[in-house]
Amino acid sequence: MISRILLEDVLAAAMSTGADFAEVYAEKTRNNGIRFLDGKIDTVSDEMVSGVGIRAFIGTRTAYATTTDLSRAGLLRCAKAVANAIGDGNASVNISLTERIFPNIHPVKILPGSTPIKTRTDILKEACFAAKERDEKIKQVMGNLASVDHTILIANSEGLYTTDRHVRTRIAVNAVAVSADGSDNQSGFYGPGRGMGLEMFDFIDPREVGITAADEALVSLRADYCPAGQMTVAIENGFGGVIFHEACGHSLEATSVGTGTSQMAGKLGQQIANEKVTAIDDGTIPGAWGSVNIDDEGHPTQKNVLIENGILKNYMIDRLGSRRMGMPMTGNSRRQSFMYEPTSRMTNTYIANGPDKNEDIIASIEYGLYAKKMGGGSVNPLTGEFNFGVSEGYIVRNGKICEPVRGASLVGTGSQILMDIDMVGQNMATGQGMCGSSSGSVPTDVGQPLIRISKITVGGR
Amino acid sequence: MEFIQIKEIISAACKKLGVEEYEIFYTVSEDISAETFKHEISGLSSGESAKVYFRCLCGGHMGYSSSSYFEADELEDLVLRAKENTEAIENDDIVMIFKGSESYATPTATLPEELDAGILKNKALELHEATYGVDERVVDGTQTAVMSFRSEMYLYNSHGLELSNRVGMSGCYVAAVVNCDGEARDNFEFAENINSDAAKALPEKAVGGALEKIGATEIPTGKYNIVIDGKQMKDLLSAFSSAFSAKNALLGMSRLAGKEGEKIAADIVSITDDPMREGCPMQTHFDDEGVATYKKTVVEGGVLKTMLYDLTTAIKTGKETTGNGRRGGNIAPYNFSICAGENTLDELFSKAGDGIYVTGVKGLHAGANAITGDFSVESEGFIIKDGKKAGPVKSFTVAGNFFELLMNIDALSDQVKWGIPGGFTVFGSPDVLIKDMSVAGK
Repeated sequence: MISRILLEDVLAAAMSTGADFAEVYAEKTRNNGIRFLDGKIDTVSDEMVSGVGIRAFIGTRTAYATTTDLSRAGLLRCAKAVANAIGDGNASVNISLTERIFPNIHPVKILPGSTPIKTRTDILKEACFAAKERDEKIKQVMGNLASVDHTILIANSEGLYTTDRHVRTRIAVNAVAVSADGSDNQSGFYGPGRGMGLEMFDFIDPREVGITAADEALVSLRADYCPAGQMTVAIENGFGGVIFHEACGHSLEATSVGTGTSQMAGKLGQQIANEKVTAIDDGTIPGAWGSVNIDDEGHPTQKNVLIENGILKNYMIDRLGSRRMGMPMTGNSRRQSFMYEPTSRMTNTYIANGPDKNEDIIASIEYGLYAKKMGGGSVNPLTGEFNFGVSEGYIVRNGKICEPVRGASLVGTGSQILMDIDMVGQNMATGQGMCGSSSGSVPTDVGQPLIRISKITVGGR
Repeated sequence: MEFIQIKEIISAACKKLGVEEYEIFYTVSEDISAETFKHEISGLSSGESAKVYFRCLCGGHMGYSSSSYFEADELEDLVLRAKENTEAIENDDIVMIFKGSESYATPTATLPEELDAGILKNKALELHEATYGVDERVVDGTQTAVMSFRSEMYLYNSHGLELSNRVGMSGCYVAAVVNCDGEARDNFEFAENINSDAAKALPEKAVGGALEKIGATEIPTGKYNIVIDGKQMKDLLSAFSSAFSAKNALLGMSRLAGKEGEKIAADIVSITDDPMREGCPMQTHFDDEGVATYKKTVVEGGVLKTMLYDLTTAIKTGKETTGNGRRGGNIAPYNFSICAGENTLDELFSKAGDGIYVTGVKGLHAGANAITGDFSVESEGFIIKDGKKAGPVKSFTVAGNFFELLMNIDALSDQVKWGIPGGFTVFGSPDVLIKDMSVAGK
C-alpha cells in the first residue's frame, strides 16, 4: 500500500516536534452490499474506502490526523499536521521498520467480492423467499447480504511494520407480518455473520435465517403488550448476551476505566458479579464475527478473562489506555475505519457456561418474563445505567413458558444486575451485532447461555 | 485530484463502456477538533477527505459505486462496477438521471471561520476550566471539546446538470461529571457556533444539569401525565421519521401509508421540513438526485398533507417529488420539526398537575420499532408536583406508540429545540404534554 521507506519518513515527520510515539494506519476496504426488497433484488452497491490515519503521543496526550491523499506530499502534510498539533519542540528521529507477519488464524476460502453477483443474490433470495413463504401474513421482507474485505497496514515508531487482511460476511433478514384485518403490523429480524467468506453458508442455512425472522414477526403479531414492573427474567442464549455487553462490557473498556468515568474503575480483584458469572472477551475465536488477527494498533488479539467466578480480573486495554492505567495492552484496540482514532473495544464477549440446567431455570420462575430474543441496547458507563429491548418475549407462569408479549424493554444498573444473575445455564451461544462507540461502528459478538436475573425493571404497558 | 480531472476520467470511462446516463457526486471535507481531559488538551485531530459517488442507468436499472481511492484505474473501475451491478437488479422502479429543476434557492448560511489548531486548543481549555470553575463538585472525567468542519459538494450528470454547495459548522460540547458524597452523575450539553452565547453558557448549563440529577429516586410503575422535553421529543421524532417516507409507505412499512389528507395527530400539531432553515449551518438547495429542495408543511393542524418523495416514488404514485431523494434510493427529511405551540414550559407543568418531566431518553435504537410505532425506552427526569418541577427521578421506562402519542399531544411549548445536524438531517421539537402514559419503575 505504502512503501517502507516512505512510512519511515512519515513517522519521523510526525515525531519532529517531540512526540514519544507515532503510528501510521492505512486501509483499503471494499464493502459490497446487495439489498432485497419487495420480492426483488433492489440495490447492489460497491464502496471502496481508502485512506490513512496518523497518530502521535506525548505521554497521554494524542494528536490524530487523516487523509485520503496517499501521495508522498499528502502523507507528509498529514504527518506535519500531527506534529504541529502534538508539540512545538524540534526533534530529529530515525525510524527503522522491520516487517512482521502474524499468523492468519481466520483463513478465508471464498472471497465474496470475487464471486459472480448471481452466487450472492441466489443466497439472499433463498433466505428472503423462505421468510415470505413462511406464512401468508408475512407481507414484506427486506434482506441484505453484506461483505467487507479489509486490508490494513500498521507501522509505528517502535519499528512495527505489518499488514493484515480481514474478510467478513453477514446476511440479515427483516420480515414484516400484518394482521388479517390490516390494522396491526410487527417485524422480526435475524442477522447472523462471521469473520469468513461465503463458506459461512456451509453451516448457516439461508432458509433458516429467513424463517427465524418471519417467526419472530408472527409471534409478536399474536402477542399482547408486556406488563410493566419489576420481575424475574430469564434471558436466552445468543444475542441475549447483549445484556453483558451493555451492562458490564462497556464499563470494562479502558476508554472509560482509564479516564475514571467507569463504575468498574479501581475494582480489580473485587467481587463485582454473582459467583456463577465468568465473562470472557476473546478476539481469537477462528472465523467469529468479532475476531481479527491483530487489533488496529497491530497487537495480536488474545483471550482475556474479564470476570472469573464473580471476581473482576481484567479490563480491555488499548495503547492510550495502557499509558493511562499503567497496565499491559490486551489486543482490544479497534476502529471503524481510518477516519477514527482507535480505542479499546470489545471483540467476542460472552458469559461462559455455568452450573445450572436450563430446564431448572425456567422451572424456578413462578411469575416472570422469558426473553427469547433481545434487540440492542445502550449504557452510561459512569453510572452503569443501561437499557435494552426485548424483541421476542413470553410470560412465565408457574415454571412454564406461556403467552408471548411485545414491546418490552429491560432497564437497570450494571453493578446491580451482575449480582442479580443468580442462575447460569449451559447452552452458550453467540449472536452478532455492530457496536457503536467513539471509534465508530465495529463488529462484535455477544454471547451467553440461558441466565436468570432475580429481579429487573421491565418496561411495558 | 481535482473534481475536473475526476469528471474527465469518469466521463471517458463511461464513453468507453457505453454508459450514456450517469451522475458523479463528489465531496471534499476537512475537519478539526480538540478535546480536553484533566486540565490539558488530551487529543487534537484533523482530517481531510474526499469521496466520489457514481451511479449510472443501464437497461432501466440504477447501479451504484463509490470510492475514496483516487487513482485513474480505480475511477475507471468505478464505472465498470456500477454498470455490472445494474445487471443484478430486478425491481421495476422507474429510475432516472435528473435533467434539473427550473430554479434553485441560494443558501444563506455563513461558513465558520477557518480555525487553526492554536485557537481551537485555547477555546477547549477555556471551556474546560470554566466548567471546573462552576462548582467544586465537578470532578475528573469531565471533558470538553471544540470542533469545526467544512465540506464542499459537486454534482455533475450526463444531462449537463452541474450543482455545487458549501457547508460547514463549528460547535462545542461539555460533558460534565459531578460527584456528591460518592454519587456520580454526568450531563452532556452541545452548542453550535463556538463564538455564540449558547457556547459561553455551556459550562453552567452542563454542570447545573448534572447536579440537578443528584439524589434521584425511583418512581412506582403506573400511568402518569408526562411532559417530554423538546430535546427528547425530537429524538422520538427522529426514531420514527422513516414513517414519513413514501418509499416505506409503498412497501407497507409505514403506519402512515395511505393517510395523506387524513388526521394523524392532535389539532395543535403541525410538522414542517425546511432544507433552508434560517440559522441552520447545513442548508442544501438540491437533493442527492439534483432536484431543487423547498420548505413543505408535512402535517398541518393534525392532518397529514404530504409524505416525503423522491423521483421514483413520485412517478409511482403520480405525485411530484418533494426534493427528499437521498443517495442509494433512500428518502429523508432535512430540518424536520414539530412546530412551536403557545405555552411556556411552566404552563405545561401546571397543565400536567402531577406527573413526570422527561429530560433524558436512551436506547431508542433498540427500544423503538419504526414500523409499528411501539417504543419502550429508558428515561430520566423530574417529578412534577402540584404543577411545578420537583426532585429528580431515574431508572424508569416510558412506553407507548408514537402514532398514538401524536394524537394525544395535549399542549406544546413555544420554543423549538433543535438537535445536532447529522449530515443534512436535523430534528427539532418543542416540549410536549401527553397525558396518561405508561411508566415502569420500581
